[in-house]
Amino acid sequence: MKENNPLSPHIQIYSWHISSLVSICHRITGILNIIILTLICFWVATLLFPSLNYSLIQNFFGSFFGKFIVIGIVWSFSFQILSEIRHLFWDFGIGFELRTANITGLLVIFGSFIMTITIFILGRGLI
Amino acid sequence: MINATKKWIFLKLSSLALLPLMVWFLFNLVSFYDKSYEEILLFFTSQPTKLLFSLLIIFAYFYSALSITEVFEDYIEGKKLKNVANKSLFLFAIIMPILTLLLLYKLSL
Repeated sequence: MKENNPLSPHIQIYSWHISSLVSICHRITGILNIIILTLICFWVATLLFPSLNYSLIQNFFGSFFGKFIVIGIVWSFSFQILSEIRHLFWDFGIGFELRTANITGLLVIFGSFIMTITIFILGRGLI
Repeated sequence: MINATKKWIFLKLSSLALLPLMVWFLFNLVSFYDKSYEEILLFFTSQPTKLLFSLLIIFAYFYSALSITEVFEDYIEGKKLKNVANKSLFLFAIIMPILTLLLLYKLSL
């Protein structure tokens, strides 16, 4: 039986708006986050094998690239958190006006970077 | 209540539960990611980490499974392929938390 369910238009034919950018990033970070969590589970699994040379993992995280990855993870989760809060407001019927949606979209984008920096600074005890 | 409504409620409840858990995990991740084997082992085997991390994993896979099915719905055309993708996703979302919980239990022994 042929399914008549319409597919979403592909992203290349969209005229880009803040809301579409945030929506696409919400989906991408959602998928990315579950991949990250799976890798974190594997990382925890390495703790079962004390004979493995853990210093390799420690050195990786201590490197510039390792720090970059961790900051990227924090950004991806921060984006998802803020975007999900925006969705929860929408669920209560708040924030659908075009101007409000644009402002909250910008808040999610810039807020995710501010949240990443804040978490990193506070988490590392840099203040 | 129709299935779509149930799915929506579960999606929203799991996202509400995930918000504080993700913030908690991020603060801890940046503080311990480059620590030694012993320190990380101690972190994952002590309370409340064990409980909170278990909840994070359970809710995160549950939420992801529900939300990624929406992506499949939007971008996969064939019904058969969509079914395979959904079933694989749900299987993965069940197996991963179970394995992780067993792993945390084994680490604590």
